[in-house]
Amino acid sequence: MADEKKIGAYICTGCGIGDRLDAKQLEMTAQRDGKAQVVKTHEFLCSADGVKTIQDDIDNDGVNRVVICACSRRAKTDAFAFDGVTLSRANLREGVIWVRPDSDEAQETTQEMADDYVRMACAEAKYLDVPEPNENHGNNLRILVVGGGITGMTAALESARAGYDVLLVEKGPELGGWMRKLHKRIPDRAPFDEPMDTGIDDLVAAIEASDKITVALNSRIARTSGAPGQFSVDIATESGSTTTENVGAIIQATGFKLHDPAAFPEFGYGNADVITSAELEELASAADGGPIKRPSDGKEVKAVAFIQDVGQNSTEVGKLRYDSGAGDLVAIKQAMYFKHHNGDDCDTTIIYDNLRTPGTAGEDFYRSGQRKEVIFTKGAVSKVDAAGDTLKVSFHDKILDEDTEMEADLVVLDMGMIPVTGPDPYATLEIDTDDDEAEVVEEEEKEDGVEAENPVEVSVESILNLDYRQGTDLPQLKFGFLDSHFICFPYETRRTGIYAAGPVRRPMDIGQAIDDATGAALKAIQAAENAQVGRAAHPRSGDLSFPTFRKEGCTQCKRCTVECPFGAIDEDEEGYPQYNEGRCRRCGTCMGACPVRVISFKNYSVETIGQQLKAVDIPDEFDEKPRLMVLACENDAYPALDMAAMNRIEYSAFVRVIPVRCLGSVNTIWITDALNSGYDGIILMGCKKGDDYQCHFVKGSEIAHMRMSKIDDTLNQLNLEKERVATYEVEITDIERAPKLINDMAATIEEIGMSPFKF
Amino acid sequence: MSNTAMVKKYRNDFLREVEEKVEEGDWVRMCMQCGVCAGSCPLGDAWEHPPQEIFMMIRAGKREEVLGSDSMWMCTSCYNCIVRCPRELPITHIMHGLANYAHRLGLAPKANPTRRFAKIFWDNIATSGRVNELKLSLGLYFMDGFGNGIKKALAMKDVGLGLLKTGRLDPMGLFKAGGIKDKSGLQKALKKAREIEDTRKGY
Amino acid sequence: MTDVVATNQTILVVGGGISGMTAAIESAECGKDVILVERNPSLGGRVSQLYRYFPKLCKPSCGQEINQRRIMAHPRVRVLTMTEVDKIEGEAGNYSVTLKTAPRYVNEKCTACGDCAEAISAEVDDPHNFNMKKHKAAYLPTNMAAPQRYVLDPSIIGTEDAEKARAACKYDAIDLDMQEESLSLNVGAVIWATGFKPYDAAKIQPYGYDRFDNVVTNMEFERMMDPFGPTGGKLLRPSDGKEAKKIAFIQCAGSRDRNHLKHCSRFCCMASLKQTTYLTEAYGDDDDASATIYYIDIRAIDRFEDFYQKVKDDKKVSFIKSKVANITQDRESKNPILHGVNTEGYHRYDDEYDLVVLAVGMDPEVKADEIGCKVAANTSGFIDAHADDAGCGIFGAGCATDALDVNRAVQNSTAASLKAIQVINKTAGAEA
Repeated sequence: MADEKKIGAYICTGCGIGDRLDAKQLEMTAQRDGKAQVVKTHEFLCSADGVKTIQDDIDNDGVNRVVICACSRRAKTDAFAFDGVTLSRANLREGVIWVRPDSDEAQETTQEMADDYVRMACAEAKYLDVPEPNENHGNNLRILVVGGGITGMTAALESARAGYDVLLVEKGPELGGWMRKLHKRIPDRAPFDEPMDTGIDDLVAAIEASDKITVALNSRIARTSGAPGQFSVDIATESGSTTTENVGAIIQATGFKLHDPAAFPEFGYGNADVITSAELEELASAADGGPIKRPSDGKEVKAVAFIQDVGQNSTEVGKLRYDSGAGDLVAIKQAMYFKHHNGDDCDTTIIYDNLRTPGTAGEDFYRSGQRKEVIFTKGAVSKVDAAGDTLKVSFHDKILDEDTEMEADLVVLDMGMIPVTGPDPYATLEIDTDDDEAEVVEEEEKEDGVEAENPVEVSVESILNLDYRQGTDLPQLKFGFLDSHFICFPYETRRTGIYAAGPVRRPMDIGQAIDDATGAALKAIQAAENAQVGRAAHPRSGDLSFPTFRKEGCTQCKRCTVECPFGAIDEDEEGYPQYNEGRCRRCGTCMGACPVRVISFKNYSVETIGQQLKAVDIPDEFDEKPRLMVLACENDAYPALDMAAMNRIEYSAFVRVIPVRCLGSVNTIWITDALNSGYDGIILMGCKKGDDYQCHFVKGSEIAHMRMSKIDDTLNQLNLEKERVATYEVEITDIERAPKLINDMAATIEEIGMSPFKF
Repeated sequence: MSNTAMVKKYRNDFLREVEEKVEEGDWVRMCMQCGVCAGSCPLGDAWEHPPQEIFMMIRAGKREEVLGSDSMWMCTSCYNCIVRCPRELPITHIMHGLANYAHRLGLAPKANPTRRFAKIFWDNIATSGRVNELKLSLGLYFMDGFGNGIKKALAMKDVGLGLLKTGRLDPMGLFKAGGIKDKSGLQKALKKAREIEDTRKGY
Repeated sequence: MTDVVATNQTILVVGGGISGMTAAIESAECGKDVILVERNPSLGGRVSQLYRYFPKLCKPSCGQEINQRRIMAHPRVRVLTMTEVDKIEGEAGNYSVTLKTAPRYVNEKCTACGDCAEAISAEVDDPHNFNMKKHKAAYLPTNMAAPQRYVLDPSIIGTEDAEKARAACKYDAIDLDMQEESLSLNVGAVIWATGFKPYDAAKIQPYGYDRFDNVVTNMEFERMMDPFGPTGGKLLRPSDGKEAKKIAFIQCAGSRDRNHLKHCSRFCCMASLKQTTYLTEAYGDDDDASATIYYIDIRAIDRFEDFYQKVKDDKKVSFIKSKVANITQDRESKNPILHGVNTEGYHRYDDEYDLVVLAVGMDPEVKADEIGCKVAANTSGFIDAHADDAGCGIFGAGCATDALDVNRAVQNSTAASLKAIQVINKTAGAEA
């Protein structure tokens, strides 16, 4: 591409734009203020003819910075898609005419609004470059799976079946994990009525037979560095040898451990005949088809009580706030063991509070258990005691509403699942620099509520040993489970190219773990494939840009390396940020963090936004025309304003809205510059922060709120009222509220008066 | 099982007894304690233990309380519970089955009017093959003694006179033998049916 | 339509809800060609009718925005709306598919300016709002509609309104001569993500959904909270438009019931727990606002239990373990009265409410055994992914495979995407 930037501004007069606005005036603005070399007006720009006009200019006239002055950047994206050029959109339809009354008295300010948006789009165009893929991308498509249980084995096999090489690392001496210990598993196919074989041997055999899968047993991950497409992983074996392997993406499937039954002495664990459901699996297998015998004296079990949700679903100290999800199905399955092996006259009682047998499979299996005469009792167990050669279970029967007891030869405790994860980087991150950052981390800990949320101690041994600036392992969200977006994008962790699968993410049974592993395998494959061509992962999938920094300007303050929500930035020996582009999600939080503004993307930079706000024409103080700036998250707040326009909800003509990738990318210089150049009010609209965060970049909004809490100093210095800057959490559905926030700010400005900084 | 056998709590002994001996008793295990039967019963207020609770009591091994209860005698066979039961339990039939079983074991509450009505009705019809309404009514009126019978009869006299006037009640019915032709055939058939049932249920 | 290109390297995704969108974009972002067909005029499916998601209480359109942006911008995804699968034949790696596209009467020239809607007067029921509201017969399906293109309701074709709409369009975007089109394609693998339909509440006779105004479904309740929904975002009683403050939620309305749906629909407990928070949203600390949940078992599964605990701590919310026997209606006030028994102990109740929400369950939108090509049905008519006939190249995704919540549907769809890719890669490998 030619070095010379040639701006072509195309003004659409369709959809009423031409009726409401003076297109000639807009043309002039584009030409005179926007410095567009080519300016054309079309009555229907998104038509084939309109698009062709633009394409012809690109092909024949060297236009490489296209400015579309028409509808919102969210509209007509299929029509306005041009290769090899940058695209800026001046939002004259949703941003101007649809939010302004069609009246004579409103005409002047509406036209000013439109003129400003044309100026802003042209200003942005001047500073935009066409991204080219990072040359420093990896090409490795091999998938590393950590953990050789059912989740890990499935992830390995499914990746191999799609044609990808796999390295499967298991810390123990054999594959199989918990699944190997099971006698049978919960059925996964209709008619969901009998426990089924685990199929573990076939699964292991399939892995061994696959020429695509390499298995490393007795091995751990000693160090992980790099990025998607080019991870370098040291595998340490128990014997002490270490090999270095290269992989493209990583799946962490390290599973769970059971909560300690001894922590609940009231249930009598310690008595040989009180066992966990995991121990019963071994007992059932050991019975080898014969009757299951009780551990204490080898007597054939004739009555067994299952106590559900031991130490789970409680806010009490030492108990889990959640349950294992599958515990009731496991109890039904195990009760069936007794019916099969010990005979129909073996009594099995399941004492539950809320029986969780969801879906088709769950309810079918529940009924099947009942048909086999498994007894279900809604109750709360208070105590298990030895009573002669038997056990006495004391409980409150919630249906009969009485305290009662029953005798059993064997008591089986349903224990909760605790994820096997490494230390949470944000619970342990040590900060060795100045005060500002220490504050950042303190805040995070408070927000995460690490102490309060972690009911039991979780492992502090690292799993991945990530050689990352921000800690050795995947971040956690709640209860020690690895963070993921959880609802819409359940696989998105905060370490690009590393995916969590199975019970490290949330408690789950085998069926769900198999699903989860398969999905995680897809994401890992996708991450490796995208890394190969330098494309970003979700949510800016396909974005080819990546952050670069001007080293000579960098003060090594480390804000970017600390604040990056994805731990993408390390520090080199000299203390300069070291970008791992493949790990970057292109949110721009580093750019927002940088106090000396040396970080930028080709298609997004301090200038592309800064120049837009400077391009706005600030009227004289005595014109009584204030100027408000809105920096709106492009994922939620900006669409909300668009939809307000579609519903013709009006808002102040004094506002100029600039979409940003994430509020985390907002650099305070924009605020300072705006205040200095005479803006009267500034609104930041981002997403919900905190535990139930809705920010697609996880921490961007939170970080922005934190930065903005310090803007008061700036306002003080400038002797401006603090009401002039406001930060809000805005949801995409705030179609009425977002305009109201703008109007409220306009009213506030009217009250406190115009900014004195208008020159 | 003898009537004095100890039943262990929450063991399946009594449940199995019900499954074996009580009509449709093998459905009891399928109840999931939703309570829709209890709520659907038009006579619900009269029940000490609604059906779903009885099912739980059976599972809990409360043999005496269940068989001695008058709850299942309250069932009027409206079938609301069967229609609504999400597990398709034939609750009406189970209630009658339980009542019948309790009665046969001699554990049913002696004074329960439904039980007594049923017995009078049965004896009435089993003897002649037809229901003799006058005999049935009088039997019911006087089951708690002569004085009470007179009181009840007086209370109902208007209804009785009305029935007489419209020819719906034959005062001579008291003295007529009536009934079907082959009474002994019927009795034989009933006896045989009883034998079959006893064999099947193992009495 | 003639420009739709597909080969045995293409994945056909049937259904444009959250599951289908996920399967489509995840496959495309792995470098696969995808055709995504959706029966409705826009993407989004059932989740677009929800007001908030549990457990984060975030807005479904937030994720929808990103998914739609990814899909619409991706060169490898072709979206066909108003399109259904008519026939499907073949085997893994080689399926012949016939698609049927209903006429939209609006072509790609549409700018969504809204002039057509402005010009006409005819109104039709709005299915997005479960017909609780009407919209113009020329309409944009939702605020979030993708593609952002208007639709003409077929009922106005041939009427004066249709002509008015056509005349109002400055861009020649209205084509009243559009006909149903049929399209035959060859694809390598199919992801079946047709989702669920809410169980027909009218079939639950004792609850009187068809007789009592103030008995609504959980999905309708979601629409009531939407500021652009039928009640403008207020919890108004259908009978008199008064605010409903005392609200009952009936769980397992249809689910876990041999007379209706024998499976547990899994999401409805969490949905009702979530909906109790709408009362706080609507009424703040108003003491008159209350929610009562009638349940058999509260199925707040695994980490969701935390949300259940939070709701239990809310003074406004109470729980009664009971399957409600029946509902009657107070003649004067039109208040629904719930009758039943609290089984924890045995307490009869006759409880009067302003509004009753039936937590209706999920029925598969398309029964698995109607799909063809040996797709197996499980005991409730969902696709049985683990049936023995494993060679099949048609993979169920999301609620077509079971009653799932959104998180699990997405998980399942992502897995289905890999399954389809395996077929495609195998076919490619065999041909290479």
